[in-house]
Amino acid sequence: MDETLKAWFAREIIAHEEALVRYLERHWPNRDEILDLRQEVYIRVYETAATNRPLAPKAFLFATARHLLIDRVRRRKVVSIEAVGDLESLNVLVDELSPEHRLHARQELRRLTGAFDDLPPRCREAVWMRRVDELPLQEIAHRLGITVKVVEKHITLGMRRLADTMFGTRRSNIKQIEGAEPDRETEHGKP
Amino acid sequence: MESHKEIEEHAAQWLLRREAADWSAADESELASWIAASTAHEVAFIRLEAAWVEARRLKALGAGGQVGVVPPPGLWHASSFFPERSETENLLRNTRARRVRAFAAAVCIVLTVVVASYFSFSSNSERYATPIGGVSIVPLQDGSHVTLNTASEVRIDLTSRERHIRLEKGEAFFEVAKDPARPFVVQVGSKRVIAVGTQFSVRRNGDDICIAVSEGKVRVEDASASLQSGPERREPGGKLRSMPVDNAQSPAATAGRHSGQVFVAAGAIARTTDDGIVVQENALPEVEDSLSWRSGYLVFRDAVLAAAIIEFNRYNERKIVIEDPEVAALRVSGKFRSTNFEAFVRLLEEGFAVRARAADGHIILGSSRR
Repeated sequence: MDETLKAWFAREIIAHEEALVRYLERHWPNRDEILDLRQEVYIRVYETAATNRPLAPKAFLFATARHLLIDRVRRRKVVSIEAVGDLESLNVLVDELSPEHRLHARQELRRLTGAFDDLPPRCREAVWMRRVDELPLQEIAHRLGITVKVVEKHITLGMRRLADTMFGTRRSNIKQIEGAEPDRETEHGKP
Repeated sequence: MESHKEIEEHAAQWLLRREAADWSAADESELASWIAASTAHEVAFIRLEAAWVEARRLKALGAGGQVGVVPPPGLWHASSFFPERSETENLLRNTRARRVRAFAAAVCIVLTVVVASYFSFSSNSERYATPIGGVSIVPLQDGSHVTLNTASEVRIDLTSRERHIRLEKGEAFFEVAKDPARPFVVQVGSKRVIAVGTQFSVRRNGDDICIAVSEGKVRVEDASASLQSGPERREPGGKLRSMPVDNAQSPAATAGRHSGQVFVAAGAIARTTDDGIVVQENALPEVEDSLSWRSGYLVFRDAVLAAAIIEFNRYNERKIVIEDPEVAALRVSGKFRSTNFEAFVRLLEEGFAVRARAADGHIILGSSRR
């Protein structure tokens, strides 16, 4: 793997995942296909960038998403053009649809802790013991009283969930951790 | 065709497997061929890896905690763990040391990420600083990470030709992402420490610097050229190399010398003064000890108490002063929380003929025999 291409991809493309997923959701009727579309967009962008690195990565990312949606509509007659709406509406100014989403280091850390706290309890424990305490899987299994296989399941699930929440595909409780929102308990807890 | 979910699950399994102790070259090539099999694999792997690498920063939050004890959810959001921007800016302006606030008991390291304009697109240099007792991880755009130790300050300047970090004061640990086209340069005074893909720390004390390398290799250069003039000396044990400026001092061996530069490899510690540089090789345990601050600890092996106290004083506003030369010469070993000097002083009182008293905002250590 080309290391600088990798770094470029993480920094310039994955950084816009939240806006990308929102864009796809807005223009594609079938929710189940959003993640496959996201993957397809990433593949196209990555393959292009491997030979010719785009100068405006964000604009290129959204142009790629738009072309993909148009291709899909044309190829698969099942999805009516109506459902997707006017194809021209896909042609939005990139900066309008996605205000700069790069985060400051501090916000990134908040996002990380929010994503981590959002993991299911067991999964959260296993991830912490692996990533922070760097315990071997056998040791984690022993401490949690589960098999190594299950520990692996928890951690791989944790990796995927962390990526989804940190990069913005999963909305989860991100809002809550920004600190602006009142505590859920007090808001909904009492009649 | 594999579904998106399956691919992601496989990528996660690879990531986890790669961390295993028995990961072999055969595994590595198996992973490489899995990645090469399709761009979908490659992209999924890059994406999960980026998140997993980022998750390493949880370590900074867990520093000092007990192994296997997972902090409760919400711990970091409830407190003032994340300082407001205005406060951090004040910190930048006010270079004088500030009192470290006490946070949740489980979290003993104050993580203060001080951000100028982190993601500016220009190459304006950015400044990051930590207060006394603080440790902070700064991720760079190129994938490298800089961990700042207590009372430290760096200026970061990433350009297309060079990744330039100026260590203004204190100590920092660098995890350098590979990018042969853009050397990673840490500038300390007139000296430049240059790395391409490696892990090392640089500590500055006035104009003297100490470099500990835990992975890879770095090159030390001196703009004032004092490193260039001296031959290199190998101690009889083969452990110490030094490059004094004074040519006459040691005309002995010159093996391993590179004109105008000194190389410091993994497991070595280099100390430089204006008079030259001394490299201690095969010092891996010492390197590890010297990096233990990243997890909030100080490690001493048979250290003179006076030296240990200097270390503690770096991390705490309240300074310890030794008034008795006999006490200063005591030798201590062990692993201590860097911000918990009270416990350290208590241990001294229990284990040695030492009496501590508070005076003038200091803690004075004297002998209990007099």
